[in-house]
Amino acid sequence: MAIAEGREMGTSAQPPLLEAVGISKSFGPVEVLGDINLALVPGEVHAIIGENGAGKSTLMKILAGHLMPTKGELRIDGQPVVMTGPVDAEHRGIVLVHQEILLAPDLTVAQNIYLGREVRKGLTLDDKAMNKGAAEAVRALGIDIDPTTTVGRLSIAQRQLVQIARALLVPHRIVIFDEPTASLTLTETDALLRVILDIRKKGAAVLYISHRLPEVKEIADRVTVLRDGKLITTRSAEGLEAVDMARLMVGRDVAKLYPDRVATQAVDYALEVDDMTVPGYAQDASFKLRKGEILGFAGLVGAGRTELLEGAVGLRPSHGKVKLNGRPVNFVTVRDSMRAGIVYLSEDRKGKGLLLAQNLGINLTLAALGQFVRGLLIDRGREAKALDSSISEFDIRTRNKDLLAGQLSGGNQQKLLLAKMMLLNPQIVIIDEPTRGIDIGTKEQIYKFIAELAESGKSVIVISSEMQEVIGICDRILVMRNGRIVGEVSGNRMTEDEIVVLATGVTSREAASMAEQA
Amino acid sequence: MRKFLLGSVAAGLMLVAGVAQAQETKTIAVSIPAADHGWTGGVVYHAQEQAKRLEARYPGLKVIVKTSPDGASQANALEDLTTQGIDALVTLPHNSDELTDPIRQVKEKGVFITVVDRALTDNAVADLYVAGNNPALGRVAGEYIKEKLNGKGNVVVIRGLPIVIDEERNKGFDEGIAGSDIKVLDRQFGNWSRDDAFKVMQDYLSKYPQIDAVWTQDDDMAVGVLEAIKQANREDIQFVVAGAGMKDMIKKVMDGDKMIPVDILYPPAMVAVAMDLTAAGLYDHLPVRGSYILDATLVTKDNAKDFYYPDSPF
Amino acid sequence: MTDTTANKNPARRSLGDIDLRAVAPFVALAVLLVLGALVNPNFLGVDNLLNVLTRSAFIAIIAVGATFVISAGGLDLSVGAMSAFVAGVMILFLNTGVVSGEIPMLAVAMLLAIGVGALCGLANGVITTQGRIEPFIVTLGTMGIFRALTIYLAEGGSIAMKAPDLRAAYRPVYFGNVFGVPIPVLVILAVALVGAFLLYRTAFGRHVIAVGSNEDVARYSGIPVNRVRTLTYVIQGVCVAIAVLVYVPRLGAATPTTGLLWELQAITAVVIGGTALKGGVGRIWGTICGALILEVVGNIMVLSNFVSEYLIGAVQGAIIIIAMLVQRSLVRRR
Repeated sequence: MAIAEGREMGTSAQPPLLEAVGISKSFGPVEVLGDINLALVPGEVHAIIGENGAGKSTLMKILAGHLMPTKGELRIDGQPVVMTGPVDAEHRGIVLVHQEILLAPDLTVAQNIYLGREVRKGLTLDDKAMNKGAAEAVRALGIDIDPTTTVGRLSIAQRQLVQIARALLVPHRIVIFDEPTASLTLTETDALLRVILDIRKKGAAVLYISHRLPEVKEIADRVTVLRDGKLITTRSAEGLEAVDMARLMVGRDVAKLYPDRVATQAVDYALEVDDMTVPGYAQDASFKLRKGEILGFAGLVGAGRTELLEGAVGLRPSHGKVKLNGRPVNFVTVRDSMRAGIVYLSEDRKGKGLLLAQNLGINLTLAALGQFVRGLLIDRGREAKALDSSISEFDIRTRNKDLLAGQLSGGNQQKLLLAKMMLLNPQIVIIDEPTRGIDIGTKEQIYKFIAELAESGKSVIVISSEMQEVIGICDRILVMRNGRIVGEVSGNRMTEDEIVVLATGVTSREAASMAEQA
Repeated sequence: MRKFLLGSVAAGLMLVAGVAQAQETKTIAVSIPAADHGWTGGVVYHAQEQAKRLEARYPGLKVIVKTSPDGASQANALEDLTTQGIDALVTLPHNSDELTDPIRQVKEKGVFITVVDRALTDNAVADLYVAGNNPALGRVAGEYIKEKLNGKGNVVVIRGLPIVIDEERNKGFDEGIAGSDIKVLDRQFGNWSRDDAFKVMQDYLSKYPQIDAVWTQDDDMAVGVLEAIKQANREDIQFVVAGAGMKDMIKKVMDGDKMIPVDILYPPAMVAVAMDLTAAGLYDHLPVRGSYILDATLVTKDNAKDFYYPDSPF
Repeated sequence: MTDTTANKNPARRSLGDIDLRAVAPFVALAVLLVLGALVNPNFLGVDNLLNVLTRSAFIAIIAVGATFVISAGGLDLSVGAMSAFVAGVMILFLNTGVVSGEIPMLAVAMLLAIGVGALCGLANGVITTQGRIEPFIVTLGTMGIFRALTIYLAEGGSIAMKAPDLRAAYRPVYFGNVFGVPIPVLVILAVALVGAFLLYRTAFGRHVIAVGSNEDVARYSGIPVNRVRTLTYVIQGVCVAIAVLVYVPRLGAATPTTGLLWELQAITAVVIGGTALKGGVGRIWGTICGALILEVVGNIMVLSNFVSEYLIGAVQGAIIIIAMLVQRSLVRRR
């Protein structure tokens, strides 16, 4: 890939653009950040890595003016400043690209990009200028989206890119990216990384948060590691390998991310899907899932993987034949498939998986509430017990059991969602993007858990856009393109190249050169 | 404008009794408020009954009765009625300010205008005005209370809604009790609703330890007032004076109920009088222009049977 | 709960951990009570307080139903008109005298009223969920339908109970008391207890909160979203009917002003009580408190001497807004 250009820095002599001196932050009695010192110099890409809950997001929010530090001060160009809010920060040239998508779904791409800073012609809006500006801003990110499309029609990855385009429209000296690639595919990630290098070239500083360590290795000049609210180290990225970073983050050796596993030899099928069509998303898809197997679904974002499986379990209107343990079944609603022992964990954890405004207990027992009802009453004692045992079994890290689900970090939310669905004691588990936006320590735990599920004879389907992941944990991988299953790889044919060829219809070399031209 | 006062409803009806001829096709539109409390309910009932009677009496006459829930929709209704082509309009306007202009526009089309109950802000618009005597309704009540309490005592007042009629009645009441030692402890709005009058009366009873009489100016509200007094078991209140002529209240007067010794007429049937006079003007060419003000008759035990209509809904 | 490990948390809860949003309406009510006592010493009289408590029954009972509908992310504007309709049907039935004996007659009429209320609610629910129409529009439509049907049944006037014996037998349901507690107050308590039980302790209640919190999450968790939504409207209808059972004996009639603007009062009570209009939070006791606040404000207005009768509406509106502001600021300070 062509990203390694311009690695020479030579910036350390310059005064820092933004400096954090002895920053601490407490919420009530809980200190989430302690005595952080950080200096950002012009023209550097500075990565911040750490496990979930290490304090990265809090630090970002302080630097971008969303939160006030409890102790310590911020300096811009050597001058102490107190930022009153994100707008103030933007005026000072600091922009934050949020991990969550904060766009109005009913407005168009251009309207979103210019929201709050509309271009006017006299009294009226200058839509022409805004559409043109938006088209350029989006194209600069290497994608092609019509600026007049409403955002609600875009995929999550496309929305993420629109959000980045929106942030970069502000005159900026410091750009903070909070896990920007979590929902992007490889090509999109590459395009974004090039944009970041472009920003750096213009003399701005980039603060980059990501769980994808290879990416960090590829792009960062310096790396700061946070653990449990403390700064562990800041060092040059040169010579720092992904595995070193992981060790620094976790505080111990992460020898192996993916568990050892022998593909199942079972011949019985747990699930057989025949000629499944989900109108508008998937056509005539057929596949079989063995007992105790981990089956991967790979493909580009928008290939129809999520929709196909949602259709199969009764979450979307669909037609086709489904057999469970050899017997034909008909799932009209998702309740039918749940009762039959199939659970589906949505990729949209926050929108479809958990009630963010409710506490952990309510979320945990929501799908399996019937088990907790005695007579008419919900047995709150049993609920509390279930929460305790799920917290320990799934290692859900929470400072307080009364917390709301929305207050947990992404990784802990995913564990809570897993725990919630496992209460149904399913035979087949479908997990959509199991580790999106999740730190490496949690990833390892989730992979291990998935492998254990399969060991215990349950069947698992993993949908993922992270190719390393499907290759690492699956026995067999199906690849989808444009709503169809276009191929299957297994054994030693499970390589990124094979998958990319199937997913895009072109070889990886062709793909790279196409991206180059774009 | 000539003005003649008529003694009673009966006299108004006499004027046109027994007339039946003419095959001319004429249309009378009747625009009134929808039934939002008992009295307006009575207006709707009498308008519909009278429409049937008039159509029977004058072959060729068409009477359209249209009810509207508020002033704005009444203005719309007036436009719709006019486009159908009408010769006369009998209307009880929701309120004077809002509807004077819409009615003036109807008049400009050459339509004969009869206004009932609520006078318009411009007196020249109405060809014929038929109404109860609002100031007199208040004055008769005030005078009765003054006499019955021997010129001394505590009275609470429950008003209707803040519109002209209510103001006129209140002024009349003050005139009625003028020169006495009658003290008005409080005046609050009961919105011509039984439920609201019940609440207001409950609160009066909590607030004032000694109340001699209640004036509610409306029989519907009196129902709520009586329940509140009954619940509180208070002996100090001697009687309640209401008004309109609702059949239940007239019945109480007839039966000699101590709490309701009298009622003061403000009959919803006045709309029927207005329709009758209007038709008489159209067909019989009688000189009906002017103002017809119905007396605020004091209904007592002696004359109550003359005003008791058990079949009316009000 | 017998499990001690699960109980550790509540035990070491400090004052600062109490959910202020839940407490705020009660604080507002307490402030109003103090204000009332200052305005007029008669305010704190037992009779006056019992009057106010009893009067609040209609709105309080209806608002318990509204708490379910609103917690599930819905809205019901038809409750006022529905009250008038149910009351009208009930009185017309009582006037037919088809059942002999006063108590059996009243019992049958009550069951009929509850049945009619439930059906009205079912209609709202089914049209909203199956027709996929905004509840605002559906219930605005049914509001007009129920109101017009009532006026039609009343032939423009009011519908009054004809039999004086029946009226006398029924009257204590509003005016009677048990050990000094007015029966309507007992009805409020009973409805609130059942409501709180349903909302907080049963799977159905949990589903209501989940649907109101995030419909997608509820669906992906296998909750029958439409059925839950529809049931909240049925509960609302039953609550309206129960309110009518207490309303009819008071004045013995359904008039065109029966239930006028009750829908707005019920919604206001729910919101003052701390239930979010966007759904996902339901507070039954807060709602009861909200209904009391509304009634107390009106009572204080009449008892006080310094507000012109023309300005009462403005002062009431201002007090409600201030009560909400106090609540919000308490919550924000957390």
